[in-house]
Amino acid sequence: MNDDSMRESMLESVALYALGVLPPEDAALVAAFIAGDDEARREYHDLRAAATALAQTADEPVDSARSARLKERLMARVRADAAAGRLSAARVSPAYPAWMWGTGLAAAAAIVFSVVTVAQDVNTRGELAAAQRRAATLQTELAESQRSSAAESRTLTDLLAPDARRYPVAAGTVVVRGDHVYFALSKLAALPKGRVYQAWTAAKGSATMAPSVTFTPNSDGVAIVALPVDATRVGTVAVSVEPEGGSKAPTTTPTFVRPLS
Amino acid sequence: MDPGVRLMERVRARDVAAFESLYDGYHRLVFGIGLRILGDPTMAEDLTQNVFLKVWTAPEAFRGGSFVAWVSRVARNRALDALRARSARPETEIPADLPLEGSIDDDVLAKLDAQSVRDALAQLPPEQRGLIEMGFFGGVTHQEIARRTATPLGTVKTRIRTGLRRLRESLAEQAAR
Repeated sequence: MNDDSMRESMLESVALYALGVLPPEDAALVAAFIAGDDEARREYHDLRAAATALAQTADEPVDSARSARLKERLMARVRADAAAGRLSAARVSPAYPAWMWGTGLAAAAAIVFSVVTVAQDVNTRGELAAAQRRAATLQTELAESQRSSAAESRTLTDLLAPDARRYPVAAGTVVVRGDHVYFALSKLAALPKGRVYQAWTAAKGSATMAPSVTFTPNSDGVAIVALPVDATRVGTVAVSVEPEGGSKAPTTTPTFVRPLS
Repeated sequence: MDPGVRLMERVRARDVAAFESLYDGYHRLVFGIGLRILGDPTMAEDLTQNVFLKVWTAPEAFRGGSFVAWVSRVARNRALDALRARSARPETEIPADLPLEGSIDDDVLAKLDAQSVRDALAQLPPEQRGLIEMGFFGGVTHQEIARRTATPLGTVKTRIRTGLRRLRESLAEQAAR
């Protein structure tokens, strides 16, 4: 398949992405493509609006008894919360079945459940101490899971945002939005065992590359990477192939070097 | 402006009356999405409660654009998660509640009512409409759509793309009237 027919095929997939019917591995590839292609981005925003509108066809009258019961239950909780001035997710979540929560939140709910289970099963001081350590670990995992889910959502929002700045590179696109900088790469070569890609950043006005995160593309050569830097301070980004664990300075010819200006 | 946007500003300030107005205005939509996807009124009811509690407990998750578009995406995402959990299907998807801040398309969407969208959808050829509805409300991948309908994968892609484009044009025309 040549570049033109490959691009046309990807453009066709934008509609599938907008409708939300792509499996995750394909979705990552299409997201990276959309991030770097103006026509694809226009098509995505057009078709996504149409796809979202489909939801409105489900707007139909609800059985009045059911509607009243639901409203009464919901408003009682909200009024109680407003009176108390707080309603944490932790208090809300156990009242609802696990299937209610998203993929990331389902994992979080499972962790919350584990915390409860651990606390209830202990009956000696030693076991209690162990349980407390385990509970602390699980709570850390829960917080991490929630952070990860939010970060993933933020990344996709920024990648596809019309107002993001985009810098083409050989392997895809560098995307900057606000103080965030991302790589949306889709043409990365597979690496031999023990090697990873590593990101580098240089501050504005500086030629010195500072080491950033390492990453490995998926089997399609796709990698979407959020760099843990303040984009407003970064003048140049780069990627090179490095030993697993990363290097303190690039040891190979960079895959790309891209000034952000 | 989408009335939901103004109400959300008040919900952020913990205004219970504004929240009640939001519920009155949009619970049919959320419940309907749940019912179409889950096919079970009790699960749709739980979904509706869950979505509106999210609105109350995390109003900052709405970052602008059209409220009706946002709450539709949240409801659909949650319903699809539930559907997958129920059928133990491993697929995940790109979150559908990405905000299109200040998007013209969201503004267009806010001007449309359910009947307008139904009319626009009805104008599509059945072979396009069926695939699009199966994808949106069925929570299945395009490969699964191809398998279930015994349609070649390439044809599924083309029909969905063509159908969504026509739907977009039709909705834009209706919104402009």
